[in-house]
Amino acid sequence: MRAYVAEAWVEAPLQRFVDDAHVQFALLLHPSGQVLGQFGFTRAVDVMAACALGAAIHASAGELGRELDGHPFRELYHAGRERQVYIAEAPTARGALVLLTAFDAESSLGLVQVYFRELRDALRLAAPPAAESGPALDGNFEHDLNRSLAVLFGRAQQPVSGDPQSTRPPA
Amino acid sequence: MSDDIRRLSEELARDPSSMVFLQLGEALRRGAQLDLALRVASRGVERHSGNADAHDLLARVRVDRGDLAEATAEWEAVLRLAPDHVGARKGLGYVLYKQHRLEEAEHHLGLAAEHGDAAVETALRMVRRLVRYTNGAPAGSAPNGERFAAAERRVEDEARCLFAEILGDGQQTALLLDGDGLVTAGAYVTADGEDVAQDIGAALTGVRDEADRTVKHLQLGAWRAVVYETEVATIALGPVLEDSLALVAAARTLPLGLVRRVLDRCVQRAEAWLTEVA
Amino acid sequence: MSTPYTDALTAVTRQRGVLGCLLVSEADGIIVDADVQVGIEAGVVGALVASLYRRARLGTDAAGLSAVGFLQLEAERGHVCAVGRDGLVLATLAEPKAQIGLIRSAMLHALEAV
Repeated sequence: MRAYVAEAWVEAPLQRFVDDAHVQFALLLHPSGQVLGQFGFTRAVDVMAACALGAAIHASAGELGRELDGHPFRELYHAGRERQVYIAEAPTARGALVLLTAFDAESSLGLVQVYFRELRDALRLAAPPAAESGPALDGNFEHDLNRSLAVLFGRAQQPVSGDPQSTRPPA
Repeated sequence: MSDDIRRLSEELARDPSSMVFLQLGEALRRGAQLDLALRVASRGVERHSGNADAHDLLARVRVDRGDLAEATAEWEAVLRLAPDHVGARKGLGYVLYKQHRLEEAEHHLGLAAEHGDAAVETALRMVRRLVRYTNGAPAGSAPNGERFAAAERRVEDEARCLFAEILGDGQQTALLLDGDGLVTAGAYVTADGEDVAQDIGAALTGVRDEADRTVKHLQLGAWRAVVYETEVATIALGPVLEDSLALVAAARTLPLGLVRRVLDRCVQRAEAWLTEVA
Repeated sequence: MSTPYTDALTAVTRQRGVLGCLLVSEADGIIVDADVQVGIEAGVVGALVASLYRRARLGTDAAGLSAVGFLQLEAERGHVCAVGRDGLVLATLAEPKAQIGLIRSAMLHALEAV
């Protein structure tokens, strides 16, 4: 199955992560909740909900870590009865990104951590320079969010890297 | 109804233009709910007639129902939309093989293999072997159908006895599995005479992916063997060419070193057999 | 720092050609204890070997071949060995020249002590 992305530079790293780690769902998002890529979701509303919750959990964990340890917690893991959830932060030149992924017994926490480290390194190498992108949460946030969701579910085209307003012909 | 099928059905009901019909149709097909799968795939093609994957899904459902002519038409539609579609090439190769049109099957499987689908290599080699044996029969010696059947029997005999000389009468057996875990050659018969080769192959083939992943990440180079002991047998697996796997199962009483040597010989034998028609 | 598993791991790592020995949870691939040479990424080894062992165990279960005991993966540049019990996997990474027979014996004894 394919990973769908709103920005082309995250496609190869995310696709490789889901292929290698055998996860069921994956979301790559800005800490603000704006989605960059998804795998396994069929409905935009699920992506929106997962992004909002993932961003909130990540922010809460960061604050909790600062309170308890003086540093934000950057990885979180929750084991459910059948599915497990892992949330972790990947710093890039375009700011920190957050991975939220769910997996079952086909994978394991250890494997997900191993492949997350590869994803983190690949994103760091693939990220366009920070100057080319605007702030994640600006006046156009809602417009950008809707456009990202439309791209992720095949109803719009990806922007050319570094030019968030333009579109390119489909491959 | 599985959770996935229910979730996908609800999503399609909510948004009938959604591409989720591809996942739903495939899930139904895999669950052997072919009538439902056909309905989902047919409606998907009506709504998205320019989408190659929609036609591919319908073709796969058709072929599972035994509608070979309709499946062929759908895969031809796929190739008009996407000439490099590997799934359509594989599908046409399979249908043409079933129709004994071996040269045409070889053509499509060859193109699928060229596009990087290693899993099709074994099927391609089997078809080439059949082409050779069918064409090798004296012209006019028998009708085409009989020549094909004779060639098929010859390949089956070769496959069944591929490792017989290596194994002798010992307490061991061997299989050659393709990239999907299907048995290409060899036999695995229990003490009470039951042939469990396909079950054993399907259950153990996943170890190959794990071995590939382990050596890649630990930078150990190519792997040569995975050997493990169970309470009743020693199992040895070895990679054969790009996508196949040799499996040797031996009684626990046999020394590990001997099992390992038998595996090496089976791997060599399998590679020689597979490549002599490449 | 000594742990309840130190002696068992040391008994394996003292074998010639062994680069490291780890005790890993089979289900999640997380390390319980490890004794590895500098430069070996214990977390990566543990996750991968636990997954390999688990796949072999599930496969043999499905094939009706009973429980997996000792497992060995032989590659161009080294060996991976594993043996498991009660949800734990004892994993060893070894050089190509290592004596697998001795390592196997040491691992089986070590597993009894775990």
